[in-house]
Amino acid sequence: MKSLQEQVRTMQRDWPQFSPSLGLGPASVVWFGDLRGLDRHFHISVEYGLPMRGRTDLYRFMPVVRVLRPSMVPNFEAADEAPLPHMYFEGPDIRLSPLCLFDPKANQWDGSMFISRTTIGWASRWLASYEFWEATGKWVGGGRHDEPDQTKEAQHAA
Amino acid sequence: MSNPFGKTTTPWDNTGERLLAAAAVKIELPPSQHALLADRKATIEKHLEREGSPMQGLIRLFYQQGSVAIGATIRAKFRFEGFDIDIIVELMVSGMTPCEVLDLLYEAVRGEKGSRYYDMTTRQSRCVTITYADGMHIDLSPSVLLDAADPRRSHIFHSKLEEPRSNDTTVLTNSFAFVEDYNARCPVDKTFQEEYSKLVTASDRGWDWIIADADTVAVPAHSTIVGGKSAVTVALQLLKRNRNIRWSARKRRMPASIMFSCLSLEVAAPGRTIGENLKVIATYILDRLVVAKLSRTLLHVENPCCAGDIFTDRWPENQSAQDLLIADLQLFLQQLAVLMSNQSSLAQRVKVLKEMFGENVGQSVVDEFGDELGGMIQSGLHGFGATGVLLGAPAAAIAKPAIPPSTFYGKRWAKR
Repeated sequence: MKSLQEQVRTMQRDWPQFSPSLGLGPASVVWFGDLRGLDRHFHISVEYGLPMRGRTDLYRFMPVVRVLRPSMVPNFEAADEAPLPHMYFEGPDIRLSPLCLFDPKANQWDGSMFISRTTIGWASRWLASYEFWEATGKWVGGGRHDEPDQTKEAQHAA
Repeated sequence: MSNPFGKTTTPWDNTGERLLAAAAVKIELPPSQHALLADRKATIEKHLEREGSPMQGLIRLFYQQGSVAIGATIRAKFRFEGFDIDIIVELMVSGMTPCEVLDLLYEAVRGEKGSRYYDMTTRQSRCVTITYADGMHIDLSPSVLLDAADPRRSHIFHSKLEEPRSNDTTVLTNSFAFVEDYNARCPVDKTFQEEYSKLVTASDRGWDWIIADADTVAVPAHSTIVGGKSAVTVALQLLKRNRNIRWSARKRRMPASIMFSCLSLEVAAPGRTIGENLKVIATYILDRLVVAKLSRTLLHVENPCCAGDIFTDRWPENQSAQDLLIADLQLFLQQLAVLMSNQSSLAQRVKVLKEMFGENVGQSVVDEFGDELGGMIQSGLHGFGATGVLLGAPAAAIAKPAIPPSTFYGKRWAKR
């Protein structure tokens, strides 16, 4: 398990545009910074906290990434992933929902990994996919949903 | 660089540049069509010099002018229109009227009934056109050399059949010298050329009817072979494509390609991207037009290698034609700004791309872009810029993803 100090230090080295702040709870941190998928800058937040007994906040189990601005643009008519792609939908404003960047059932992330070497790159890829989705309604980033027989990993691979 | 994932790999890692390069490839004359052109040119030349041809022994030189000669030929806006090729047929004749020269060439090309070109040949006011079933047009303009000491300074002939013969005239030209000047002065960036030729070759699906011995004549080699493609010429091709789209519905003479070429050359400089070249060239042409408008004259562009060879002799014919191009270029520059701005969404860029270069080209570019992007994201085989932007790279160039791929996840939206 990487310590918060290690995570902060590595983030500072790899992605210096992100500024760390104290998180909402004990032993947690939140970074704010700009990230790009294609060319457009998105201001995002990344919340993360060490696991604590009795705490069930999502950020204690995985880094939680939200796009703060520019706002995501829901498209209920999109051919793929309407109204917004690959998010853990939260109210009242679904545009601020956390991004679903990896498959938790495939062990793609755990606390021994650096956020800067996983989550941030995935978020950049998600943003690039999102920009294409916003323009076309098509999701080219692949992925799957928490449903049987919905794997889309082969999509666009041919 | 502080980011260990940063890696610049191609001249178009900016999305706007990437889209422009892809659009340029879509309208580029592919190597297979270029080979076909070379073959057809050789066949026509042999046909004109055949035994019994009215032109046998009269042709001094047979050379291409215009877009093909500078590597700026583009596909037509519509498939059935094909593309136009301009060839000068330099003749050793004297004492003939313009009408007689054009008629002679027409008869020589057309041949006897049953000849391959008999039903494909049309006499125009300055040239003879061969129209192929696949849409390609080859314009053959007869000329005579004026001064052996000033190579290729020539007259071409003007004779409109429906007008009185007293209107017939000769027109000074030296397109050969202009082509040489353009090719010598147009800056070539090696990295750009290599990357661009990969894109062009990859997009050429080949035609079944390429003729194997097509290299027997001196059509300039395709840009993917000679290593001479310039970002200036690519920008010029895109500008011509935009012109074709804007003018296709106007049913009037459009600005000459050679005028665009000449003005592009006047501001050509090495080291610019396609987008930068487009901005510089379009701004310059616009400035020249506005200066002409303010002084209540028409744009005047002259061959820098031949005084009196006027590239604007038939366009603009009046102020209204000039005003149309002014408005077109103003719009083009506004759209280009949107396309190139890092603040623009991809949706905004796609919209203007289609407006600038056509719905089909734009959609095709977007579809390919999506395939490329999806492949990069799902494989993880790409670099990252300092602030996260995905950088394109050939998959073989990156053995291991800098950041491993992940599987995007989540629940589907449930209507509430």
